[in-house]
Amino acid sequence: MSPNQPANPIATFAGPNGPRHPNPDDLVLYAMQLLPAQDAAAVTQHLQQCADCRAELGHIRADLATFANTTDLQSPPASARQRLVDQVGREKKIVPIAPAQAPAHPPAQVQTAPPLAAFGRGSSVLSIEDHQPKRSGRTVFALAGWAAAACLAVGTGFLYKSREDLRGTLTAQTGQIQRLNTDAASAHQLMDALTDPKAVRVTLTAKPLPKTAPIGGVTYNPQKGSLVFLVSDLNPLQAYKTYELWVIPSDGTTPIPAGTFHPDDQGNAAVIMPDLPKGVPAKAFGVTIEDEGGAEKPTLPIIMAGS
Amino acid sequence: MPQPSPEDDSSLLALVQSGNEHAMASLFDRYSRVVYSVALRVLRDPASAEDVLQEVFMQIWRNPGSFTAARGSLGGWLSIVARNRSIDLLRRKRPTVDADDIPLASSFNLADEAERNSLMERARGVIYKLPTEQRKTLEMAFFDGLTHSEIAEMTGDPLGTVKTRIRSGLLTLRKAFQS
Repeated sequence: MSPNQPANPIATFAGPNGPRHPNPDDLVLYAMQLLPAQDAAAVTQHLQQCADCRAELGHIRADLATFANTTDLQSPPASARQRLVDQVGREKKIVPIAPAQAPAHPPAQVQTAPPLAAFGRGSSVLSIEDHQPKRSGRTVFALAGWAAAACLAVGTGFLYKSREDLRGTLTAQTGQIQRLNTDAASAHQLMDALTDPKAVRVTLTAKPLPKTAPIGGVTYNPQKGSLVFLVSDLNPLQAYKTYELWVIPSDGTTPIPAGTFHPDDQGNAAVIMPDLPKGVPAKAFGVTIEDEGGAEKPTLPIIMAGS
Repeated sequence: MPQPSPEDDSSLLALVQSGNEHAMASLFDRYSRVVYSVALRVLRDPASAEDVLQEVFMQIWRNPGSFTAARGSLGGWLSIVARNRSIDLLRRKRPTVDADDIPLASSFNLADEAERNSLMERARGVIYKLPTEQRKTLEMAFFDGLTHSEIAEMTGDPLGTVKTRIRSGLLTLRKAFQS
């Protein structure tokens, strides 16, 4: 059923004295845009009048944002940044420049200039000069003042633009440095995990061995709790199923989930530095197929294993 | 190096408003991983996730006024927008209108890498302590965009149970961060 299909009408509850509010469960579905269109419209209408529900929706959206951040962080391809920069460059903004404010009470003796459109149409600038052949020194001085003010405004605008550009450049470079630092730290951690002489390296093969057997390798350092797992030739999964990697502790305690993964079109997948407890020596590693989201205990059969 | 603050997000948005391309690139550097990761989690396809990433940031460039500091955390808002756009793409739907005028009541500063990592670790800890059925129901609704009816059909659970699991999962998350 799609979200736009009619479903059960929203259950509502009545406040002690006030209006009928949407069911709190439905408000969560509304925040996730999973309510049928008709019900969503009713909630939208209610929200326009109900500050309490608007506040609760704000909290739900914050909860959802927190939940969204439980996903593993992945870096987009480097080309994505350039793609955005190029697109932004193609869609340059035209920012209107605010006109310099004229003084509230301009000097009365300054002659009003004719509209630009009137230039060259008979009664033009020249005709004004014809009517005022003797411009006083005071008028010339005032005009010079206006010209100076205009130059000052242009100069100020130029300096402001330069300052904003420099500020933008500085901010961009700060952000880039921070990103590079983060990437470098991640890369360093990854290199440590891969090259650490104390790390154990285990090859996982399919059981039983099919014709094109998936094969994977684990690099695991129990002291640091660091793990890198690369696998190839995996079969695609049904919808809502996922592969899950397990660390099987050498002391015989419960297997520890070490991350879920899905193969790409070529059957390759990886689990890089999952959250694992430190100081747990492993006697083996295994891969199972679980429902989407992973499981707390492995579901048999173990389709890949290595020790 | 000084850590970015929410004011920095506001300043960047103001610069974007004035057409500053560097500021736009800086916002991308700060939040592209969050947006891309959420999109990838929903779509499971790097090319589609990159398209969503592009679309979300171009939305900021074209209409930076669609987000103001009064609407809460920019990182949180981007996470939600990335998820909603990805679900729309998954369902081949036209983009839906977000309830963008409702402030996102989050006090987290996702611009700060350290705070973001700390938030992620704590949130994951809370989520993985939820009963499996509840966690899976929440993930099916949020990351797979399945309606409560679809989840009930797949799992065989009553509709009311599915709805309650989704909400109480989120409430558990909220309470864990309030305590």
